[in-house]
Amino acid sequence: MFITRKSLPRRTVLRGMGATLALPLLDAMAPALTAASKTAARPVRRAGFVYIPNGAVIDEAAHGVDAWSPRGAGSDFELSPILKPLAPVRDRLVVLSGLDHPMARSMGDGAGDHARGTATWLTGVHPKKTEGIDVRAGTTVDQFIAAEFGRQTRLPSLEISLESPERVGNCEVGYSCQYLYTISWRTPTTPLPMENNPRVVFERLFGEGGTAAERRAESRRDRSILDWVRGDVADLRRELGAADRLRVTEYLDGVREVERRIQMSERDGDTPALPLPPRPMGIPDGFEDHIKLMYDLLALAWQADITRVGAFQISYETSSRTYPQIGVANSHHSLSHHAQNEENIAQLIRINTYHVEMLADFLEKLRATPDGDGTLLDHALVLYGGSMSDGNDHSHYPLPCLLAGGAAGRLEGGRHLRYADRPAMTRALLNVLDLMGVPADDFSDATGENARLADL
Amino acid sequence: MPSRRLLRACLAAGAWAAAVAPLRAQPAGDDAHAYRAVVDRYCVACHNAQTLTAGLALDTLDLAAVGGEAEVWEKVVRKLRGGLMPPAGRPRPAPATYDRFASWLEAALDRAGAAAPNPGRPAPHRLNRAQYGNAVRDLLGIDAEHAAALVPPNASTHGFDNAAAVLGVDPTLIERYLAAARRISALAIGDPRARPAPVTYRAPVDLTQDGHLDGMPFGTRGGLRVRHHFPVDGEYYLRAKLGRNVHELIRGLNDHHEVEFSLDGERLASFPIGGLGPGTGERADYDSLRHGGYRTSDFEVRAAVRAGLREVIVTFPRTGAAQIEDRPPTLVGVPLQGPALRQPLLKAYVHYFEDGLPYITRIDVEGPYGVAGPGETESRRRIFVCYPAAAAGERACAEQIAATLARRAWRRPVDGDDVAELLRFYEAERGRGGDFEAGVGMVVRALLASREFLFRVERAPADAAPGAPYRLGAPDLASRLALLLWSSIPDDELLARAEDGALLEPAELERQVRRMLADPRSQALVEHFAGQWLHLRNLRFARPHPLSFPNFDDNLRQAMRRETELLFESIVREDRSVVELLTADYTFLNGRLARHYGIPNVNGSHFRRVRLTDPARRGLIAHGSVLTVTSHPTRTAPVLRGKWILENVLGTPPPAPPPDIPDLQEKNAEGRVLSMRERMAQHRANPVCASCHAQMDPLGLALEPFNAVGEARTRSESNGPIDASGVMPDGTAFEGPAGLRSLLARDSERFVHTLIEKLLTYALGRGLEYHDAPAVRAILRDAARDGYAFSSIVLGVVRSVPFRMRMTPPAPAADGAAAVRR
Repeated sequence: MFITRKSLPRRTVLRGMGATLALPLLDAMAPALTAASKTAARPVRRAGFVYIPNGAVIDEAAHGVDAWSPRGAGSDFELSPILKPLAPVRDRLVVLSGLDHPMARSMGDGAGDHARGTATWLTGVHPKKTEGIDVRAGTTVDQFIAAEFGRQTRLPSLEISLESPERVGNCEVGYSCQYLYTISWRTPTTPLPMENNPRVVFERLFGEGGTAAERRAESRRDRSILDWVRGDVADLRRELGAADRLRVTEYLDGVREVERRIQMSERDGDTPALPLPPRPMGIPDGFEDHIKLMYDLLALAWQADITRVGAFQISYETSSRTYPQIGVANSHHSLSHHAQNEENIAQLIRINTYHVEMLADFLEKLRATPDGDGTLLDHALVLYGGSMSDGNDHSHYPLPCLLAGGAAGRLEGGRHLRYADRPAMTRALLNVLDLMGVPADDFSDATGENARLADL
Repeated sequence: MPSRRLLRACLAAGAWAAAVAPLRAQPAGDDAHAYRAVVDRYCVACHNAQTLTAGLALDTLDLAAVGGEAEVWEKVVRKLRGGLMPPAGRPRPAPATYDRFASWLEAALDRAGAAAPNPGRPAPHRLNRAQYGNAVRDLLGIDAEHAAALVPPNASTHGFDNAAAVLGVDPTLIERYLAAARRISALAIGDPRARPAPVTYRAPVDLTQDGHLDGMPFGTRGGLRVRHHFPVDGEYYLRAKLGRNVHELIRGLNDHHEVEFSLDGERLASFPIGGLGPGTGERADYDSLRHGGYRTSDFEVRAAVRAGLREVIVTFPRTGAAQIEDRPPTLVGVPLQGPALRQPLLKAYVHYFEDGLPYITRIDVEGPYGVAGPGETESRRRIFVCYPAAAAGERACAEQIAATLARRAWRRPVDGDDVAELLRFYEAERGRGGDFEAGVGMVVRALLASREFLFRVERAPADAAPGAPYRLGAPDLASRLALLLWSSIPDDELLARAEDGALLEPAELERQVRRMLADPRSQALVEHFAGQWLHLRNLRFARPHPLSFPNFDDNLRQAMRRETELLFESIVREDRSVVELLTADYTFLNGRLARHYGIPNVNGSHFRRVRLTDPARRGLIAHGSVLTVTSHPTRTAPVLRGKWILENVLGTPPPAPPPDIPDLQEKNAEGRVLSMRERMAQHRANPVCASCHAQMDPLGLALEPFNAVGEARTRSESNGPIDASGVMPDGTAFEGPAGLRSLLARDSERFVHTLIEKLLTYALGRGLEYHDAPAVRAILRDAARDGYAFSSIVLGVVRSVPFRMRMTPPAPAADGAAAVRR
């Protein structure tokens, strides 16, 4: 794709690329992009998982105030200060209160709640304490869904973030940084990298341009190379001992998966070219431009049915990001060790609220995007939250967690569900699998007759 | 009881090295029997099979055979060398006995290690991002940064991003490698079908362009400089964007300026902007200068450019007549004074005004239009080692090209089968109608995506027993060397010495190491080793609060990083003692950083060696870079600074804090805000915290005379006086940065030991284990004879058992089960 100069209004360029993928463009291209889901026999479901770091101001005992949980329960509830920006999509909202992540606790492994929490969030698995090659958590729920949904799309899933993993000396003693910098594990031993560059995400989704014939020719060349690499890696795998084989097996699986993706894209290659927004230039300077662009790309990927699953780690645990644009000069992580200081807690509430505002924008965008007989919001399910409750004492109860979207008619919104028995969050994840039509008998520590959450 | 466990962990793991007398590692007649008595008397009261303090039982271990329990005894050695055990308040042996025991233990462990070497076994892993970029540069002559930007960054572990543990492979990564291979091969060959594409380079938002910038032509102010790969000979548009305020007015048009474009130092075009005429200094009529008056195309050049890596500069020549740059900037016409004027602080305000100096925010390069040909590029010189005069010679030449590139890319001799496999890609491309060059391009593309280029597997000889050590073959050793010293692939000479086996000879190995250290590519050690060890990389993420630190901008950030890099580089290039990193009475400054430090008579943007007269500023610990990355955005963080020193200077990182930390009170009972020192004192009042913080806090508090961006100060953030005195747990008193530096320098052996551990970790791509400790000690002993010259340490690492050898894989073990049942 070649972007002409005149398609880039100067003002948008100057203010960063955030605005260039805004909603009007989505609307404009909606007719072309929704063709696939219209012809489908039933609405296509999408699943999104959005992670916020360093906990939330949710634990009255720890923070002196709970600014997250709605007041009241059932359908009669009042949105909290932090969740207030979600008022316009309240009817598509289910807030889950009282969830716990017992597997994120120390269990004799000492400090490391940031790493453990992140690795436990969508796995429910207590990760192995190691800085070595033997990292092990669990397959994340997004990847279970991707394994099912991904057969129909070019990309099984999209993993995005706003952060770079290049910071050093940031990870907790004894835990590999891999636990901190991703929320998505393809297998219990394969953490998936989160991409923070919108341009790279864009090119993964929409390619690098050229005519359809040129793209086909390029993918044939790629396939011939992969075919050769696959043979070579398979030979190597046979040759190596069991101890070294794991990593080579990953490599081999990876090659096969990419071959499958190329075949999918070749199959899709004959659909008419989609009108696309301009290619982003790189990582925008401002947080707000960056996060909006990433949410827009996720919405686009769903709309164009390039993938149906997305995991978005807004920031990693221990993130030291500052938010001067909302008057937060201190780093998020140091604020989360609030020491019961009211000003610190007020600033944390501001950060939590700001993140929710961005989510609300995204959800409204989904609602404004027609999809089949409804909107993207009707058919999607977005799980939003974190694996830390009070950042000050690294607790994992009560967790901030909410669901948004209709899950194609399966989820009734406008509800606040309170659970008094401290259910593990994995029980909610089992419900999420049900809602996505990928049911499982149990999931990590959610087992037995009452594995699922009631009422959900 | 987590807190009790923590207390034990801290007592055990803590850190401060008491000034231990230099040791002579000679058992000299002492024997296991005598030391058994020492251990029984001073250690086993806590560390016995019943009490198991810190999980350690020393009563049941055999001192006559320490090799059997090397892991435990190495822990003991570390505590002894750190002067940490027995804990304060418990009886200790006489200093001479204490040291002799430590030396005896080390000697015994070293003998055991030598008798049964365990070099460890780095797992198969891929090139990391930086290595990929450098390898592409050395293979194809493509700019390393350009190539690296095409593949994703990776996380780090054990402090470095080249650890095998973080270098696995996943599908997304494979896609990225494929795409990168396609782009790089097109760029390297000079694809004549290249379509015009725009590339944008942006200035950091907080780059101040008020003065001359390092690397820019003399007599210029501000501007941007980019290195761009022009894929083919052809025509390209070069465009610049100027900074604007919120009303879309180009800033700084009161006076006349020129916007000058140049390519590889040659002036392309110059555009006059602003003012009523050169030198009038009169206020311009803004309405006529609104954006409508300046279109993007006003700052655009279309130029014929020859293919290759070239430097594009857009900047403002200083106008001789006006000397506008030397006048203080103004805000709505009112001159402003002082440092508070710098762009970042005033950004919010100046954005409403038109005052100030114009600056460049972006350079765009778009092309090629009218392709004239692939051109003569470094890449083509490296690829086309032959060029067929006629169709008949094409295949033979393609074979020669494939063989030459594959040997470098795969770091090993190639045979006919290897070449035949690659030639299949050449043939296929010819079959699709491609010409000779397109065929070669496909070979390059396949090579860049090949397993052997991206993924490193060290293979044991076929007859090696499982779980046994073996000597690396010459090709694997060459790869390790190139990755350690250059973060890249071996060059032709190193490959040749690997192929003829000479590299396995000690003299040749040393010759190669010295040659490689002298090569500019060893800059990689500065950027990647020092950059990660000293956390310089984190400067990129530093966001000092603009209201507290209005002076902080990208210019200062870059200068800070450069200072530390140049100090490290001077140690490498001049082969100085690494101890000078701690103690050097010189550093490297430009005008900006010198002003920041309050050092007079250093002007201009270029860096030069400067003698330091103020003892407080000497050595790494007083570098702005280190002080900034260990601070919070609004204030200093003595704990982070102390921790940094424990980890990176003393090599005894504190254990993680407990999960149930009590909060530090910010005010006392009467509501008075406590000083930093008073707050820190709460750590030491609490025994759980004290065991670690008694070591950590004094180190950090000694640096309090430097603020959160490394400026000297006399008052704290809360405007209180600063007390930088400290007492270590062993009673040693010291004062301020200079006192701290002397204290650290007195035990310089610990610092060198730490550096060796870090460099060996980096060299091996894995975390160090107890069985590496004898190697670290051997490197330390040998380097001591050369006064810890940098090359002696590198040579020590290269000659060490874990670098030269590897374990074969153990006998097979079963895999674990999946976490989810479906």
